Amino acid sequence: MERRHLLTGAAALGATAFAGPAISQNVAARTLRFVPQANLANFDPIWGTQYVVRNAAALVWDMLYGVDENLVPQPQMVEGETVSSDGLTWDFRLRAGLVFHDGTPVLARDVVASITRWAPRDPMGQMIRAIQQELVAVDDRNFRWKLSRPYPKLKFALGKTGTPCCFIMPERIAGTAGNSMFTEYVGSGPMTFKRDEWVPGARAVFERAARYTPREGTASWLAGPKRVLVDRLEWVVMPDPATAANALQAGEVDWWESPISDLVPLLRRHRNILVDIADPLGNIGSFRMNHMHAPFNNLKVRQAVMMALNQQDYMRAVVGSDTNLWSVLGGFFTPGTPNYTEAGGAVMKSANMDAARRLLAESGYANEPVTCLVGQDQPLLKPMGDVTADMLRRLGMNVDFVATDWGTVGQRRAMRNPPGQGGWSMFHTWHAGADCVNPAGYNAIRAHGDGAWFGWPNVPSVEAGITEWYDAPTPATERAAMDKINTEAVSNVVYVPTGFFKSYQAWRRNITGVVKGPLPFFWGVAKS
Amino acid sequence: MWAYIIRRVLATIPVMAFVALFVFSLLYLAPGDPAAVIAGDQATPDDVERIRASLGLDRPYLVRFGEWVFRILQGDLGTSIFTNLPVGHMIQQRIEPTLSLMIVTLILAVSIAIPMGVVAAWKQGTWIDRAVMGFAVLSFSVPVFVVGYLLAYIFALELDWLPVQGYTPFSEGFFPWMENLVLPATALGGVYIALIARITRATMLEVLQQDYIRTARAKGAGQGSILFVHALKNASVPIVTVIGIGIALLIGGAVVTESVFAIPGLGRLTVDAILRRDYPVIQGVVLLFSFVYVLVNLGIDLLYTFLDPRIRY
Amino acid sequence: MNPVAIPPGLAIAEPMPDVLPPVSARRGLIGFLRRYPTIAIGGGLLLAMLFVAVFAPFLWTKDPTSLAPALRTREPGAEFWFGSDMLGRDVYSRVLYGARVSLLVGFSVALFASAIGLAIGLFSGFIRLADSIVMRIMDGMMSIPPILLAIALMALTRGSVQNVILAITIAEIPRVTRLVRGVVLSLREQPYVDAAVASGTGTFMIMWRHILPNTLAPLTVQATYICAAAMITEAILSFIGAGTPPIIPSWGNIMAEGRALWQVKPYIVFFPAVFLAVTVLAVNLLGDGLRDSIDPRLAKSL
Repeated sequence: MERRHLLTGAAALGATAFAGPAISQNVAARTLRFVPQANLANFDPIWGTQYVVRNAAALVWDMLYGVDENLVPQPQMVEGETVSSDGLTWDFRLRAGLVFHDGTPVLARDVVASITRWAPRDPMGQMIRAIQQELVAVDDRNFRWKLSRPYPKLKFALGKTGTPCCFIMPERIAGTAGNSMFTEYVGSGPMTFKRDEWVPGARAVFERAARYTPREGTASWLAGPKRVLVDRLEWVVMPDPATAANALQAGEVDWWESPISDLVPLLRRHRNILVDIADPLGNIGSFRMNHMHAPFNNLKVRQAVMMALNQQDYMRAVVGSDTNLWSVLGGFFTPGTPNYTEAGGAVMKSANMDAARRLLAESGYANEPVTCLVGQDQPLLKPMGDVTADMLRRLGMNVDFVATDWGTVGQRRAMRNPPGQGGWSMFHTWHAGADCVNPAGYNAIRAHGDGAWFGWPNVPSVEAGITEWYDAPTPATERAAMDKINTEAVSNVVYVPTGFFKSYQAWRRNITGVVKGPLPFFWGVAKS
Repeated sequence: MWAYIIRRVLATIPVMAFVALFVFSLLYLAPGDPAAVIAGDQATPDDVERIRASLGLDRPYLVRFGEWVFRILQGDLGTSIFTNLPVGHMIQQRIEPTLSLMIVTLILAVSIAIPMGVVAAWKQGTWIDRAVMGFAVLSFSVPVFVVGYLLAYIFALELDWLPVQGYTPFSEGFFPWMENLVLPATALGGVYIALIARITRATMLEVLQQDYIRTARAKGAGQGSILFVHALKNASVPIVTVIGIGIALLIGGAVVTESVFAIPGLGRLTVDAILRRDYPVIQGVVLLFSFVYVLVNLGIDLLYTFLDPRIRY
Repeated sequence: MNPVAIPPGLAIAEPMPDVLPPVSARRGLIGFLRRYPTIAIGGGLLLAMLFVAVFAPFLWTKDPTSLAPALRTREPGAEFWFGSDMLGRDVYSRVLYGARVSLLVGFSVALFASAIGLAIGLFSGFIRLADSIVMRIMDGMMSIPPILLAIALMALTRGSVQNVILAITIAEIPRVTRLVRGVVLSLREQPYVDAAVASGTGTFMIMWRHILPNTLAPLTVQATYICAAAMITEAILSFIGAGTPPIIPSWGNIMAEGRALWQVKPYIVFFPAVFLAVTVLAVNLLGDGLRDSIDPRLAKSL
C-alpha cells in the first residue's frame, strides 16, 4: 500500500519535474548517442575557446568557408568570392536560401556582425582587423571587405578549425559583446540545439534542422554538404571512463570521442566495436609557461626546463605504451605535414638532466615557487602534471602543485597577477595538430606579448619569422620562414612541447560514416 | 500532542537559519575575490567592478545575508557561474533521478535489513546470526564505488541482466525506470542495510527478553506474529531513528554512485560544482539537501508519537 | 546515652573482614580476548596495519613517488609486487604509504572530534544557557550531510591532509557532542552529583571527577566508529578529487587514479580496496567488541 503510493507519487513528480519526451522505438533507432571528450558547460564559441565548445558549435552554426581534409578552405555559406587585382578588396556573395533556425533568412549584415564579434578574439582576425579599411554589407546577399594590405590567407581564417572559429550568427546575438556569454543558441547549421533538454554536465541534445539546405559538392571535413543522417544526436557526458567503456560495450552509447588508450584493447576485443585513430594530424602536448613572472620570465630557466623535459615520459604517461600513437617532436609544428621542420630543435629530442641542472644554476634561479595548474579531471592533462611535478623536483625547482579542475584552470590562466597572488607559472594543455601545421591559426606560437595566448610570450624574432611566412611568395621562402620560426621558438622557448600523440575514437559497428578528423563530424554518419 | 508537533516544527527554523548562514558564508569564506570568480575568464577590471557592485560586496554582511535569504524565500537561488543558467532550473532538472535513487534504495534497504535483523536476533548465537552480522560489518568496510564497479561488471556487463549506466525517467515506464536503478540502489544500499540490520538486531534482542513477549508466547501466538507484530512494534523507535539518520549516508553515497553509474542527478551536480567552485550551485544544493534532511528527521520525530505513545516530550 | 553494661565473660567477636564472593578466575588479557573475539580480531588486524604504516619506509621496494612511465601498468610480479600504475609507480609501496595517510586521518579525526566534542558536550550539558544555542548549532551542522560538509570545506581550501582532517573532524563533532551531552544530562540528576554540588564542589571538579569518567566508555566506542567513518570518507573525497592531493599516496587517491583502468588492470584498485576494507573492518570489529564488553545495552544507540 505504502509502496504504490510512493511510486505513483514519484511518477507524478517525474512527469512534471523532468519534462523529457518519451522516446518511441523508431526514434531511438535514429538517435545517435555520443560521449564527448568533456562536459559542455557553456556554449558560446567565441567566448569559450575549448575544443568541446567548438565541436558542439559546429553543429548549430555554419561558417562562410570550411577547410577540407587537405586544410584547403572551400566555400560553404558563400556562393563565391571575387578579389580585386591588387588583392585589397574582397567581395563575397552568400548562397541563396540560407535560413536561421528561427526562420529568419541569413543576411549580409548578420555576417558582418558575426565577423566583427569574432575578429578581436582570434589572432588571424586581429591581424586582419589591423589592416582593415572597411567591412560592410553591400546588400542582403553581398558583403565587402576592404584591406590596406593584401592578406592571402583570408579564406583560411574564415574556414579554419582552430578556435575560435568564425561562426555566423544572427545580428542580434552577435551584438553581444565578445567578453560576455550569449544565451540564445540560434544558428544556420545542420542541427538545432534543444535548449529545453539540455542538462549541463549530463547531456546535450541536437536535432536535425529541417530548414538546412546542404550545398553541392563532396563532403570533406568542414567543406561540402553537411548532410545529417540521424534525427537526433544526444551528447551523453560520462565522467568515468570505465563506465563509458562499459556503456559502449553494452550498446548503450554509440560513439565515444576519446577512449583512453589503456581501454582500447578491451574495446577492440568486442566484436561490435570498431576502434581507429581519431585524427592523423594528432595533437601536440604543451607545457605552457608564464613569461610575465618569475621564474619563467628568465630565458635560461625556460631553457633548463626544455633541456630536462623528456618527451618519452610524457607521451607514455599520456597515451600509453603503444608507440604507434606517439613520437618525439623536434619543433613546434605538426609532424607528417609537408612543412614540418626540426630546424634548431635538437635540444628537444633528448633529455639531459645534468646539463639542465647546470643551466638552472647559471640562470640565477632563486628558488621561486613554480605554481603548476593541473586539471585533474582531464585524462590527458593529469598524467602530464604528475610527470612535470616529478621532473621539476628532480631538476631542483620549488614546485607549488595546484591540483584543480579544468574549468578552474581555464579561469585562472587568464589572470596576469603574479603566481603568489592568484596567478600561475605553468599549466598543461594540448593543441590539435590541425591547428599547428603552420603559423596561420596557430595561436600558441604567437609571441607578441600582451596580445598573445596565455603565458604572453614576447619574442620579436618569432614574430618576425611569422610575418615573413605570411608574406612569403613561394613555397621555398615559406619553408625558410618556418625553419626560422622553429629555431627562434626553440631557443627562446615560447612554450615546451611535450610530444606528439594521436588518440583513438571508438564506435559501434552499426554506425557508418565515421571519419578521421580534428573534430568529430556528425554529418554523413548513419545508424542502422 | 499538537503542542509537541508545533514546537518541533518551530524548532527547525533556527536550525535552517544556521544552515543558511553557513551556506551563504561559503562564497565569502573562499579564497580569492568572489567577484573575480564570477566575472570569469576573459573579464576586464571594469567587468569585475560591475559584478562587485551588483553583488553588493561593499555592503554590510548581514544586509547581504538578509537579501540573499529574501531571494531564496522567493525561489530565486541565483545563477550558476559556469553555465549562466538559474540554479533553481539546474536543480529541478536533476532532482528526479536522485529522488528516485534514494527512494528505491530506502525501500530496498529497509525491506531487506529489518527481516535480516529480526532473523539474526531470533537465531542469536547461531551461524545465521554470525553470517548476518558478518555481512553487516563487511558492508560498512568496503567503499561504495568498489561495490558499484563490481556489481556493474558482474550483472551488467558479464551477465547482461541490467543496464550499465544511465537513468530512464519514470514517465517512460516503470520497468525501464526500475532497471536503471537496481544496481545503483544495491550499491548504495549496502551500508544502509548494514546499519539498519545491526540496530534492528540489537533492539530486538532486548525486546525479546521482555515479559510481554513471554506472555504472548504463552497465549499461543505464532513465532511470526511474535517477531513481527509484538516485538518489532516495540523495537521500532530506535530503528526509525537510525533510518532517519542514515538518510545522510544515502545523500553522501549518492554522490559517488551517481558518478559510477552516470546518473544525471544532484549528487553529480554537487561534485562538479564543488570542484569548479561554482558557489551559487553549491549553495543551492547544500541548502536543498539540508532542508530535506531536516524535514525527514522532523517527520520521523513526529512519527514517534504514533509509534510510541509514551513519547510526549 | 547510657552505655550498655557488658556482662562479664561475654566475649565480643572481632568484626569479620569483608569476604568477597568468589569471582570466576579472570585470567587477564587472554581470558578477556577469548570472551570478546571481535576485540581480538579487530585489534590484531589494526595493530598489523599500524605496523605496516609505521615501518613503511623499511618495507617498501621502490620510492612510492618515483615515476617510470616506461614501466607503466605492469602486472603484479617479481619487480612490482602489486603491479605498477599508469605512471609506472609501484603500487605495493604506494599502498604501504597509503596506510600512513588513512590511519593518520582516521586516528586524528577520532581524537580531535572526540576531544572537541567532549569539551563542547560537557560545557553544553552543564550550562543550561549555552545548551539551547549550542544544540541548535549542532543540529544545524548535523543537517548538512557529512560528505557534503567535508567537500564544501575542501572547496574553500587547498587539498592537503591537514585540511581533509579538519573538514571531516568538523563534520563529526556534532555527533560526539550529542552523545556527551546525553550522558551529562542523564548523570546530572544522579544523587552523587547532587551530593557533590551540595558539599560545595566546584562545577569543574564535578565535571572532571564524576561526569567525565562516565562519558569515556561510550565515547571510546563512538571514537572507533568515527575512525572507521573518517577513513571511508577520506577515500570517497579522494575518489571524487576533493581529498588528499595526488602527490601523497592515500588509498583513496590510488583507487581514484586506477578507476578508469579497473577492468583491464584491476590490481590498481583491488589492493588499496582490500587494505582499506580490512582496516575499516578491524576498527569496526574493535568498536563492536569494546561496546559489548563495556555495556551491551549500548548496541541500541551506537
